[in-house]
Amino acid sequence: MADRLLVSTRKGLFTVARGAGGWRVARVSFLAENVTLAHADPRDGGWFAALNLGHFGVKLKFSPDAGATWEDRAAPAYPEGATFAVADGKPPAVATLKLIWALESGGADQPGRLWCGTLPGGLFRSDDGGKSWALVRGLWDRPERAGWFGGGADQPGIHSLCRDPRCSRTLRLAVSTGGVWTTEDDGATWQLDGKGIFADYMPPDRKFEQNVQDVHMMVQCRESPDHIWVQHHNGVFRSADAGRTFDVVPNVAPSVFGFAVAVHPRDPRTAWFVPATKDERRVPVDGKVVVSRTRDGGATFDVLRNGLPQEHAYDLVYRHALAVDDSGDRLAFGSTTGGLWVSEDQGDSWKAIEARLPPVHAVTFV
Amino acid sequence: MAPALARWLAPEPGASAGERAFAVEGATVREVLDALFARVPVLRGYVLDERGALRHHVVCFVNGVAVRDKAALSEPVPAGGEIYVFQALSGG
Repeated sequence: MADRLLVSTRKGLFTVARGAGGWRVARVSFLAENVTLAHADPRDGGWFAALNLGHFGVKLKFSPDAGATWEDRAAPAYPEGATFAVADGKPPAVATLKLIWALESGGADQPGRLWCGTLPGGLFRSDDGGKSWALVRGLWDRPERAGWFGGGADQPGIHSLCRDPRCSRTLRLAVSTGGVWTTEDDGATWQLDGKGIFADYMPPDRKFEQNVQDVHMMVQCRESPDHIWVQHHNGVFRSADAGRTFDVVPNVAPSVFGFAVAVHPRDPRTAWFVPATKDERRVPVDGKVVVSRTRDGGATFDVLRNGLPQEHAYDLVYRHALAVDDSGDRLAFGSTTGGLWVSEDQGDSWKAIEARLPPVHAVTFV
Repeated sequence: MAPALARWLAPEPGASAGERAFAVEGATVREVLDALFARVPVLRGYVLDERGALRHHVVCFVNGVAVRDKAALSEPVPAGGEIYVFQALSGG
């Protein structure tokens, strides 16, 4: 079980640790800086932190010692001539790095390998632990990319990276807005997956077009990686064939809209969501923060609220701000209004961390 | 170099936090900045984007006058001139 959390916020990276008195803030790194994402490398325990400095651009930092010291790593850079086009009428523009939106380590058989998903839509690969990066041309040069467009951001972005634990050369990713993609050869070639996901924001005859799907977040079950859950702009979807096809999961209570999803590492039928009301009303239903959990593959859902604010709570939970630990028992999520809650019983009960944190971008167990 | 930028550099031994100044050669803003980045490579990614343009929320003043072409950086720098590199107020 994990006893530490990395909480990336608008004003710093907070290490929250479990002690005799419960979960407490144990360290603050980059105080007052915009930390958009953190990633712990399971191969060596190193921590990466992505910063988005308001003036000075996107930076990547690495800590070999659990946040005691930090070193510079390279941020991915778009090559000369790179442009991105969007399919919703905005003109093509020069591609420069706007945001590191996803980080994933390679397998144990791929020392130094890191994958990085970014805005405006580039996937980057490193084979030296983030000291240098190369744009993954196999995906960037696909003609379908001209049909991507921005979701929550003005530009398309890659936010979900799922390396297949059975084969390190297989990576699945999701784009907002650009659907679900799979490579089985380290990124050289790609297949557009995600059949069955639908978009109500498109004209009816394009509703099921795979390349326009606004996946908000995609996660895979560690021990059953063919089982993938998606929180999408228009609902929740589940795949049992490694993302090739999806079925809609209509019963999520109290709402099918949200950003975050987590799946149990061993039981692919158990998944958690933090719903908001709907896309044009991005606040909790009735001002009550709840977590929605299924244990039967999405047939039924429990609405979990024990320990969560139930009166005038307007916390929104971003896509990377809900996490489950390796045991599947501990969960944590953070909100746009700085709330942070931890459960040690799969969501049956929650405890708020005693802190008034900055807006939370991402949460991960380490 | 404004303190907000200088604090991302390794401090000089014994120096307190604050502005940092470097004396480098160059006849244009681009030449001066390139000479600066040769001395302090980490600065490049803070001041310029990957296209080589001055970052959207970074501003350079040459003897008190803001650089106008943030992509070309071709404006002349007179001998003995001073370039200030600031975070633009717009990014705050």
